[in-house]
Amino acid sequence: MSQELARNFQSLKEKGDPPPYFLSYEITQEDIFSLSATLGSIDSTGGGKSRTLDVSVRVGTPKLDNYHRVRGAGGGAAQFTTGAQISYEDNANSVKHSLWLETDRAYRAAAERLIRIQTNTQVKVAEQDASADFSSAPPEVSLAAPVKLKFDREEWTSRIRKLSARFQSYPSVLTSRVNVTGQAETRYFVNTEGTRLVYGRGYARIFISASAKAADGTDVASFDSFEAESADDLPDDKTVQAAIDRVAKDVTGLLHAPEAEPFVGPAILSGRAAGVFFHEIFGHRVEGHRQKNEDEGQTFTKSVGAKVLPDFLSVIFDPTRHTAAGEDLYGWYDFDDEGVKARPTTAVENGVLKTFLMSRSPIAGFGQSNGHGRRQPGYEVVSRQSNLIVESSKAVSDEKLRAMLIEEIKRQNKPYGLYFREITNGFTTTSRAGLQAFSVVPVIVYRVYADGRPDELVRGADIVGTPLASFAKILATGDKPEVFNGYCGAESGSIPVSAVSPAILVSEIEIEKKAKSNDRPPLLPEPTVLESGGGKPR
Amino acid sequence: MKPVVTRALLSLAAAALAALAADAPAPDPVLAAMRDEVARAHTLTVSNLDAPYFIQYVIDQGDGFSVTASLGGLLARRRNQVRQPEIRVRVGDYKFDNSNFAGGAGGTRYDLGRWPLDDSYPVLRRYLWLATDSAYKGAVETISRKRAALRNLTESNPADDFSRAQPLQYVHELSRLSIDEDAWAERIRALSAIFAEYPGVMDSRVELEAVAGGYYVVNSEGTAVRAAESATTLRARAVSQAADGMVLHDTVTFHALDPAHLPGDAATGAAFREMAHNIEMLAKAPKGEDYSGPVLFEGTASPQIFAELLARNLALPRKPEGGRGGFNGSDLEGRLGARVLPETFEAVDDPSQREWRGRPLFGAYDVDREGIRAMPLTVVEKGVLKGYLLTRQPVHGFSASNGRARLPGSFGADTAGIGNLFISSSETMPAGGLKKKLIELVQARSLPYGILVRKMDYPSTASIDELRRTFATAEAAAHPVSSPVLVYKVFPDGREELVRGLRFRGLSVRSLKDIVVAGDDSIVFDYLDNGVPLALVGAGSYTTESCVVAPSIIIDDLELHPVEEELPKLPVAPPPEMAR
Repeated sequence: MSQELARNFQSLKEKGDPPPYFLSYEITQEDIFSLSATLGSIDSTGGGKSRTLDVSVRVGTPKLDNYHRVRGAGGGAAQFTTGAQISYEDNANSVKHSLWLETDRAYRAAAERLIRIQTNTQVKVAEQDASADFSSAPPEVSLAAPVKLKFDREEWTSRIRKLSARFQSYPSVLTSRVNVTGQAETRYFVNTEGTRLVYGRGYARIFISASAKAADGTDVASFDSFEAESADDLPDDKTVQAAIDRVAKDVTGLLHAPEAEPFVGPAILSGRAAGVFFHEIFGHRVEGHRQKNEDEGQTFTKSVGAKVLPDFLSVIFDPTRHTAAGEDLYGWYDFDDEGVKARPTTAVENGVLKTFLMSRSPIAGFGQSNGHGRRQPGYEVVSRQSNLIVESSKAVSDEKLRAMLIEEIKRQNKPYGLYFREITNGFTTTSRAGLQAFSVVPVIVYRVYADGRPDELVRGADIVGTPLASFAKILATGDKPEVFNGYCGAESGSIPVSAVSPAILVSEIEIEKKAKSNDRPPLLPEPTVLESGGGKPR
Repeated sequence: MKPVVTRALLSLAAAALAALAADAPAPDPVLAAMRDEVARAHTLTVSNLDAPYFIQYVIDQGDGFSVTASLGGLLARRRNQVRQPEIRVRVGDYKFDNSNFAGGAGGTRYDLGRWPLDDSYPVLRRYLWLATDSAYKGAVETISRKRAALRNLTESNPADDFSRAQPLQYVHELSRLSIDEDAWAERIRALSAIFAEYPGVMDSRVELEAVAGGYYVVNSEGTAVRAAESATTLRARAVSQAADGMVLHDTVTFHALDPAHLPGDAATGAAFREMAHNIEMLAKAPKGEDYSGPVLFEGTASPQIFAELLARNLALPRKPEGGRGGFNGSDLEGRLGARVLPETFEAVDDPSQREWRGRPLFGAYDVDREGIRAMPLTVVEKGVLKGYLLTRQPVHGFSASNGRARLPGSFGADTAGIGNLFISSSETMPAGGLKKKLIELVQARSLPYGILVRKMDYPSTASIDELRRTFATAEAAAHPVSSPVLVYKVFPDGREELVRGLRFRGLSVRSLKDIVVAGDDSIVFDYLDNGVPLALVGAGSYTTESCVVAPSIIIDDLELHPVEEELPKLPVAPPPEMAR
């Protein structure tokens, strides 16, 4: 890699017009095994070894280069890498040849785009943020051993078969699936500034999903997952079975639950739900590149030094933390995808915004990367989240938090409040063209009554709201942080992230009805062979 | 393939069969689940809406192994299993049902995802149950939309929607993948390293893909089929670039039913070297010029053009009711009884033939995807079109299938395709004399040279970029026809000169009427058809094993023209040194 980097860089500098001033290669080596089963039968096995190459060529100057955003029609962000698949074996001929071809392709695309940018900056008004396109970063050298995948296929095949068969005892669940994935990822990174890195980590995950259809056509679904660094550290069957039972019971419960009504009132978000809430509503808005892009809403761009959250809350992004609350985190790494060393970054301290998440693309007032330039192979790097950690100085016990909710329900004279236990992937619009709103999709929501009636599961609710208003309404938090691990999708692809937060109490949250299907449930009954256990077809 | 059956499942299947009629002994949980659920699904109804009159399940399944390498390094190596169901529910009757209509509804979505791979009777029944429910709801909604739509249209096609067929019991073993994965990975690695010796080759890949398994067909008329299917593909692709920037590519493909039947490394290595050499030569070759005159198709080029021009057009796709534009019919529609080849020519599609001159035939099969036996079919006799490749979808004048449903099609129908298409002529000349004949034709017309084509890009392995450049014009895009790869100018003194960048203009099935002469040779060409234009490799979600056997031919008066495309620049940096 280093040889081919030097050779191509030299050759392009001599013969290329315009010559490049920076070149980097990132090779992501993955060894994955994934297995899923439904009702005791394997339905997919997959994976294997692969290596993906991302080449980054910069022509022009750090002040104005080919990565500069083009404004207006046909504009947008740059895309030079194609994430070429290259040999996963250490065969010098094959790897060198791919590096050469991809460097040439990326260089040509870069040179062509620079010309467009030079015109664009002249025909458009001056940009509000006149910061440069590329910042300096100290060279890093760190050569760890490649990560090896530890995954016992046979053992997992029989375990996943057995685990997925547990759904056979829940006849109302129409479809269900249990998936396990083990992954070893090693990244090789070199650039023309002298950075040379080999680093990596493992990922392992069990994902449980189930769905059903209510008599009125509403599709209901629930999920649960376990994450660890290695498949060996995933929980034992007993724990997973308990989660399967919970998911199955949630789905069954949702089938018979009343439909949620549009509602505005107080609510508690569990730690996991609050984590997703912060990730979507706050995290995406402190990603540095959004402050510079004039198509973005720039909710917080001018808020540095100002209060953006209640003063008892701090938010830290810490890619160096491997665990929290006894669980492995998904969002840690040693170096980001620009070869910048990972470091903790306090975004909000006691409610006051301190900084943004930075890649090597500078923004006004923030000239350096803080190691948050990330991507999925095949995408261009932008600033992204790592491990989002919410810390609170106004933490109370769960009982106290619930008591506060009930007080709040009474104070507002509402019939009930809400408890959000699980939230999945939400989405948030940060672009100016859209409403500056967010919507997260709660899976498990209960009504909490002030008069002592038991909590009641409801279905079909979406949380809606606008970010600035939501943050002001956080009243207190619980004292037990919970972990949400998952994958976050944005401009630079899908990347592993974590959110760690205690439960939060909000004085006001708004829910709306979810769009629903009008299809009838199955006309014929289930073939019944699964439940009767006797295996006698009718 | 012997299904993986645990003892528990065996007893389960036995119980299933005991409960059924005693005359259907099939100790296969897949077949049992399909039969039982088809029988139950027949009772589906929604209040007063149409009940199904026909239900069919097709399950394609197989084990696959693939490995890809470039310049001696493996890029990917995969083992995978697939089970792909296709559920058809017809409501109404044979005359008028929910098929052949473009505005159909999809039915309830159940998020079934991938189908279970284990041969588990209860789990498969459950999946069939949900999929059938969804298909049935789609069918009743579709037929009501179709009725409503046809009220405003005069029906363009008076043919029935579906033809009747005799039930068939055909239960054979599935084929089983038997392959030494490590040995093949090593062979592919070594074969890919050959290209490191050719500095003119800019990029290259060698890949092997082997799949074995088969398909099940069960329908409510009583058909039950379990048929073996397998295919192995060994392919090398290479790309070079001429000094003016023109990108050139070539491919060598070997197919076999079983990986063990592929040629040995000496033969494949020699073919890959020849291709690498050719592509280096192509990069240095002069650009071809406009030409109008006789063309000799030699080597695989002849069966390739029969495959693309004749075989494809022998299927008659039916335009769905309510469809607007975008429909590609057959160029041979309505030409039954008309001359389509010279009078000396005959064309027979014979899937029942398993071997030819000691070599297994790639396109052989007994029963198609609709459970119909395929018998030999004379499609062209004395140059006259005698028949088409038919499925159970009735088309003008034909109301019964001849067992050619080889790929799933759209609007409830299947797509017809050939098995083994044999092209022969009663008048031939020694193949060695064809070049001389070409020169005679050229001289008679006082042309400076003739054109010889040795290879076509069919099925096409062109890149998306290349396709975009080639089919940039509306005319080319409307009638896509593959490009010749190896084109030679043949001068009166017999000298051959390789040229690059030529494309045919107006090449179609009509061109085949102008065949002047056929050689006494027979070239076997195996390929995987996927139903998409150019049979583009990698497109389409199903493939079917096909074979054309044809002699070399000379076609009078074809037109070729140089491509006019924007050419990419040459790489700025020189290629890296290759270590031997």
